[in-house]
Amino acid sequence: MEPFERGAKLKTGMPPLHGVRVADFTLHAAGPFCAHILALLGAECIKIETAGRPDIFRKPHPVYGRMGAATFDQVASNKLSVQLNLKHPQGAELAKRLVSLSDIVAESFRPGVMERLGLGYEALKAVKPDIVMVSISASGQTGPERGYAGYAPLFGAAGGLGTLTGYEDGPPTEIRHVMDHSTGLTAAMAVLAAYLRRKRTGAGQYVDVAAREVACGFIGDALLQFAATGVAPRRMGNDAPYMAPHNVYPCAEPDSWVSIVAAVEDEWRAFASALGRPEWLSDARFASAQARWIHRSELDAQISAWTRKRSRREVTRILQAAGVAAFPSYSAQDIVDDPHLNGRGTIRSMAGPNNESRKVVGPPWRLSRTPATLERWTPALGEHNDRVFGGLLGLSREEIDELVADQVIY
Amino acid sequence: MSNQHNAPLAGFTVVEHAEGAAASYAGRMMSVMGATVIKVEPPGEGSALRRAGPLLTQEPAASALFHYLNAGKQFVTCNAESADGRLLLNGLLARAELLIDDTPASRRPALGLDPDVIAAQHPGLVFLSVLPFGASGDHAHYHAYELNVFHAGGEGYLMPNGLTLEMFPGRPPVKIYGHFAEFIGGTSAVCAGVAALLVREELGGQFVDVSVQDANVSVGCFAIQRLGDGVLENRHGRSFKYGGVIECSDGYVGVLTLEQRQWEGLVKLMDDPEWARDPALQEPLERSRRGAEINRHLRAWARTQRVEEVVRKGQALGVPLAKYNEPADILESEQSKARGVFAPIDLPGFGSVPAFTAPFLLNGQALGLARAVRRPGADNEAVWCDWLGRKTAELDRWERHGAV
Repeated sequence: MEPFERGAKLKTGMPPLHGVRVADFTLHAAGPFCAHILALLGAECIKIETAGRPDIFRKPHPVYGRMGAATFDQVASNKLSVQLNLKHPQGAELAKRLVSLSDIVAESFRPGVMERLGLGYEALKAVKPDIVMVSISASGQTGPERGYAGYAPLFGAAGGLGTLTGYEDGPPTEIRHVMDHSTGLTAAMAVLAAYLRRKRTGAGQYVDVAAREVACGFIGDALLQFAATGVAPRRMGNDAPYMAPHNVYPCAEPDSWVSIVAAVEDEWRAFASALGRPEWLSDARFASAQARWIHRSELDAQISAWTRKRSRREVTRILQAAGVAAFPSYSAQDIVDDPHLNGRGTIRSMAGPNNESRKVVGPPWRLSRTPATLERWTPALGEHNDRVFGGLLGLSREEIDELVADQVIY
Repeated sequence: MSNQHNAPLAGFTVVEHAEGAAASYAGRMMSVMGATVIKVEPPGEGSALRRAGPLLTQEPAASALFHYLNAGKQFVTCNAESADGRLLLNGLLARAELLIDDTPASRRPALGLDPDVIAAQHPGLVFLSVLPFGASGDHAHYHAYELNVFHAGGEGYLMPNGLTLEMFPGRPPVKIYGHFAEFIGGTSAVCAGVAALLVREELGGQFVDVSVQDANVSVGCFAIQRLGDGVLENRHGRSFKYGGVIECSDGYVGVLTLEQRQWEGLVKLMDDPEWARDPALQEPLERSRRGAEINRHLRAWARTQRVEEVVRKGQALGVPLAKYNEPADILESEQSKARGVFAPIDLPGFGSVPAFTAPFLLNGQALGLARAVRRPGADNEAVWCDWLGRKTAELDRWERHGAV
């Protein structure tokens, strides 16, 4: 059986969470993204699932009206996969043994589920007193709405972010996967800080992340404005108060757009000059930021007439050369083709499940001494059962086979 | 209430030399988590972000965004373009564990902030660089604001979906409210910064290059995966086939039923209408195919319903539903009160006002905000003199020379 190596002492060149073990009970998108961030930073992340109810994002799903292309692989990369039926008493017991050998626990069940399984924070603290545990849920572990079910667009709705997003004359707007993943990113931030505290003090900590509150964090300025003045911002499309141009403009190719912002007077002058429109600088409608904002529709129409004749890359090149903030609206294809992102390793090639080369998103940071890492593509369900149950927990071949037969390792 | 006992970064000192929202958000989250964050601003009027919308007052311009991003920090002024200023900043960095900086890479050497120089002078310091496109690469020198990085990260191209897109199919993509992409960048920066602090005792400081674009590409990784699976996402193709944003008689709810039992709960919530009894609608793919038809029924029903009741009853039936909450709803909700995620801060002219703290509790307790925003340089004496041991006379001289 494959021995379980925790690895050598931390050295320069190793990822910063080298030697840190995460027991990952998370499902769907938000929780797995938290564990994904920890895995990119080098933690040994053991994803615990069961064939009885695998991660909904692992299996084909009709969410967009087609049974295919589930969205699991990217956030499960770098992880180890084991199967455990947590509803079986022996399954929960093995989970506890795994936790006793881990540093961090992550879970994203509905509040109360881990307690019912005998795997709540208090129970896990009893087997690993300094454990750092993060629970990720729609509304948090406390409060009258703690049991509310939710998905990304509903976190954005309850947290107010979706309410403030949309065209001025339109309805609220759904915030999609980025709401899940920003929740996971926030959870990773908090759990990293809690782990740092543990390293310094020896004390574990329980981190309770509420996805809707993550959405609140994105509108903290609006909440403060309302609390102070009784007035809150409304939906405002692409507008930003007293900034014009500040919009997304159509370019020559079909469904191609470029974002342009001129926030201060220097940028406005450079912008007018780059477009060959010096007369704008003496036009009373555009004489100040406030005047431009009032007349932004007229300004946008004239800018669109210019951008429509050009590619978004040409617009970007001309305006960036003039010191004006402009960038194409990137599709996924643009992202994987972008030399800058490829050069930084943010986009890289990896061998997929059938050994095919595919473009994936790498770690989003460059740490000069302890680089983050993406080493492995997504594991198959239970791919690391032997390695973890045998190598780490020390079970014999016979014991493992028996647990498989009893649908504990299942 | 402030919760220093649980605050995980208590004892760390962070210097924030930053103008933008991404780096300021990183500093904010470190401050909320207990670090002492010293914000360094240009002498005089301080950061331009102090006057950025949304505004609490027009004259003088007081920014709700600035107050949100900077409550809890200490405020010093320092002009790193002057030799005295660079000397002072260096003294500050010698006492800190982490520097957050968003100076464009090409300007750093002139301010004494070249990463190699900093590494030589302060080997134990984590230099957390937070820039729109990172510190290196073809686009590192590009100028960008929130709207630009939002579109550089890929999510801009994919917004909006659902009802908004249905109503306005020909309009340009719409951004997410506020500084979403930059706050993602800031959160990502804290992850990397804290990871660097974790290894600092063993390995010393290091340069951490954070790109707001990278952070947003990472958060938007599903679109990249789908592309690898052969599907190029666009905003028309990724709308949910039914559910989504639904208008009730007094507001909007979001509805999303991904699992069979959730669909069955939704049918019950609507009182088991005739149209939903069609056996073919038991099949998820058939429901997707007939999404427009389902939404016609769902919308007609919802227009006769009140939001609060739909959400309460629907959640009891296991249907994922949420109200599109306004800021007032959030501030007044029993959920927010029970969680304690708003803490009072003093805003000039408004008195004590509840401000959002952090979207997580630690050991069951909400975090706090140590102090309200103060004027630029309000903590100069406390930091430069009391903490770093400079003399008051020196401070006066630097003030005269514009160094602080």
